[in-house]
Amino acid sequence: MNMKLETLVIDPPAPTRKIGGVILDLQNISLRFGGVKALTDISFDIREHEIRAIIGPNGAGKSSMLNVINGVYHPQEGRIVFRGQERRQMEPHMAATQGIARTFQNIALFKGMTVLDNIMTGRITKMKSTFVEHALWFGRARQEELAHRRKAEEVIDFLEIQHIRKTPVGRLPYGLQKRVELGRALAAEPSMLLLDEPMAGMNVEEKQDMCRFILDVNDQFGTTIVLIEHDMGVVMDISDRVVVLDYGKKIGDGVPDEVKNNEEVIKAYLGAGH
Amino acid sequence: MLYREAGQFKTSYAADQQLFPIRQDRIGVLLLLAAAFLAVPGMASEYWFSAILIPFLIFALAALGLNILTGYAGQLSLGSAAFMAVGAYAAYNFQLRVEGIPILVSFALAGLTAAGVGVLFGLPSLRIKGFYLAVATLAAQFFIVWCLTKFPWLSNNSSSGVISAQKVEILGHIFESPREKYLLVLTVVVLMALAARNLVRTSTGRAWMAVRDMDVAASVIGIRLMPTKLLAFAVSSFYCGVAGALYAFCYLGSVEPDGFSLEMSFKILFMIIIGGVGSILGSFLGAAFILLLPIFLDVGLPWLAELFHLPFSTATVSHIQTLVFGALIMFFLIVEPHGLARLWQIAKEKLRLWPFPH
Amino acid sequence: MQFFFEVLIGGLLSGIMYSLVALGFVLIYKASGVFNFAQGAMVYLAALSVVGCMEKGAPLWLALILAFAVMTLFGIATEKFVLRKLVNQPPIALFMATIGLAFFVEGLAPMVFGSDPRALDLGIVDEPIESILESAGMVISKFDLVAAGVAAVLVTSLALFFQYTRIGRALRAVADDHQAALSIGIPLQHIWAIVWGVAGFVALVAGMLWGARNGVQFALTFTALKALPVLILGGFTSVPGAIVGGLIIGASEKLAEIYIPPVMQSLFGGNFGGIEGWFPYVLALLFLLVRPEGLFGERHIDRV
Ligand SMILES: Nc1ncnc2c1ncn2[C@@H]1O[C@H](COP(=O)(O)OP(=O)(O)O)[C@@H](O)[C@H]1O
Ligand SMILES: [Mg+2]
Repeated sequence: MNMKLETLVIDPPAPTRKIGGVILDLQNISLRFGGVKALTDISFDIREHEIRAIIGPNGAGKSSMLNVINGVYHPQEGRIVFRGQERRQMEPHMAATQGIARTFQNIALFKGMTVLDNIMTGRITKMKSTFVEHALWFGRARQEELAHRRKAEEVIDFLEIQHIRKTPVGRLPYGLQKRVELGRALAAEPSMLLLDEPMAGMNVEEKQDMCRFILDVNDQFGTTIVLIEHDMGVVMDISDRVVVLDYGKKIGDGVPDEVKNNEEVIKAYLGAGH
Repeated sequence: MLYREAGQFKTSYAADQQLFPIRQDRIGVLLLLAAAFLAVPGMASEYWFSAILIPFLIFALAALGLNILTGYAGQLSLGSAAFMAVGAYAAYNFQLRVEGIPILVSFALAGLTAAGVGVLFGLPSLRIKGFYLAVATLAAQFFIVWCLTKFPWLSNNSSSGVISAQKVEILGHIFESPREKYLLVLTVVVLMALAARNLVRTSTGRAWMAVRDMDVAASVIGIRLMPTKLLAFAVSSFYCGVAGALYAFCYLGSVEPDGFSLEMSFKILFMIIIGGVGSILGSFLGAAFILLLPIFLDVGLPWLAELFHLPFSTATVSHIQTLVFGALIMFFLIVEPHGLARLWQIAKEKLRLWPFPH
Repeated sequence: MQFFFEVLIGGLLSGIMYSLVALGFVLIYKASGVFNFAQGAMVYLAALSVVGCMEKGAPLWLALILAFAVMTLFGIATEKFVLRKLVNQPPIALFMATIGLAFFVEGLAPMVFGSDPRALDLGIVDEPIESILESAGMVISKFDLVAAGVAAVLVTSLALFFQYTRIGRALRAVADDHQAALSIGIPLQHIWAIVWGVAGFVALVAGMLWGARNGVQFALTFTALKALPVLILGGFTSVPGAIVGGLIIGASEKLAEIYIPPVMQSLFGGNFGGIEGWFPYVLALLFLLVRPEGLFGERHIDRV
């Protein structure tokens, strides 16, 4: 992996942005799959409104970390404190209702549905009408569909994907799919957004667009962002603080400049053959 | 340029979210309904009503039920016929045991009973997927039919579980002739198809499709998997249950548990594979195809055999039928996994350009 | 008590025959990830081709060879014309395609070999073993014992085949990792064709035993369907699972058939026979609620 910074030209985060207190505190998290130790005794915190990057070589446990945060994986040990409340076992849909949204490393869109329907699905936690109302197209059902359609269109405008709103997502090129997936997450109006390698496999232009969207989301809506990314240029440029994982252990944590000069981090990256 | 959506710009989201957003579709559906309600009753013969139109509508309804579960929510079931049986026997028992209950209420309760049983057999879907679930639904198929045969109470102590459906009486009018029964079945099926269309285009349907396409992502978005899957089982079984009640009351008149066989469940599955998995229109197209094919073979094969002077028996017809069904299933899955509904869509796209090819 | 053991042993022995069918499923599922619903139809096809060939005057040994040829051809054709065309489809589409395949076979086979039920004589009589009858007073069928022996030999030789031959090792490699299999130097398609061939052979053995016991008839496909609950119990990828699952299903359905109806009858009146028809499926369903990964399967957490 290259540690050079000149690959992308990105505006640094707006200086007006205020970073708040700790919103999510992860304490001594350990996660195993059979004999595989995916995460070992990891602690770090995430502050409100910040962009927090998680980096590390493949298999370091980054995705597992996100999965622990939104309840897809359940760690065997550790405490998770979200907005001052400790939780041990939580199902993913509960994370969603608490305002945590997420994208996936391998695109996890709903392939058989259109872009619009994917984004509308992102708003599902905000919908109250029942299936009986839906079947009869009665009462709240109609109003709700229209109100949420309006919100979905806002997301579509924000991400500049108006021209593909009725296209089945399976037919879109990779870069656009990643963007739609971001849209689906944004549609939930989350307070915390977990992004798993949102720029992997993109060209420089697409990356620039994606960076802009991430920064805009963070800036305009104050959304806290947890970002896994391999492009060091991007990470160093846009993140406020960085956690470094290697073989499921935390080997560095701090502002980008600190991390960049951390002996262990440099060794891990060189040692991993990048 | 017969079928043109270009130029039909929607000026509001409401216009874009109508039942049928494209004008030609709207007109087409209205014409079709007018024909079905007004023209057909005047023209069709008794044979057409009782041998073709009524079973077509009833199986289309059952296929619609299975399509909700399999096509939209992604849960495979091999037990649709058993849920139809539940509907048929429930309707019979409500009529038999509840004094003065209106027949339509019996049908609705029959649907609800089937829904309840469907939820019960849908419970394993919370932990398993795909063909595991298919095996679990075989349990429903065999167990339900066995219960209906063995518990004398369910068939009012008739031998081997045969029941004769009571009269269909609504507001003092007795639906007796095939034409009247056709109109009743048609009304029920049209209303339920519209309800299904509403379900799948709103957030209920989106939740089902999300679970079908990627269940982990669905739960991460905030969809609760358990209620979503169980609702799919309930709604699907409700549709099959009502179809079963209609099957007993408006089609055969008297039914036995063994009639709701595994073979029938497969037939319904074939309807949605050939018609179009995840398509309401497809449920109708598939039902028509699967019901008409044997009729064509029955007529066509002896004719062909005679033409080529081949020996011929009725057993051969049934074997050829089985073989053709199997071959068609493989053919459609390989060549057009979205079935006849997709072919229709492609045809519409062609029409959009017609008569100008470019 | 003696009667209980008699039923139990009879059930276990017939369960071995379920295991045989289940084994065919497991082989194909392990190697290609296809859940082959047509395995039951294959058993029917195999049994029909044997009696069909014998009717045309072939001796048993020749009929067996011809039937094996039919099964191999069938496997290769299936791989080439159906499965290969569906490689990138979701597993559920493949599953449905094998349902189509089952119908295709169930229509074609009787057209070629005739559809009336026929007896198949392998020269083993279905009578109680006298020494056991005398010493323990239990009726244990000679035929069942032979069948169990054949099944045991088949399972052992399959295990050896997987363990010690190059092709066998390749097959196991495919199950674990398709890429690794390629590096052994055997094309994936050959491997699949071989697997279907082996599954065809297993179907042939099962078809012989079932056919000799119950006659060669269409109902065979329903009996073979009971291999599905066997798989759920044993786990789809485990050969020992298929064996143990078969034994459990065989024994429990026979015991259920004997002991449940009298209880039901005293409660509700009427006749409650025929429990065998659904018991394995309901047992499998209940089992799924408790242990969805099967007895021998490993719990697996979806990776995202
Ligand atoms: N669902 C799972 N089942 C088994 N092992 C898993 C699963 N998810 C992750 N792992 C293992 O955990 C380790 C960390 O994986 P992951 O979090 O995906 O790493 P990264 O995202 O940093 O590349 C790897 O060894 C991986 O194989
Ligand atoms: Mg990862």
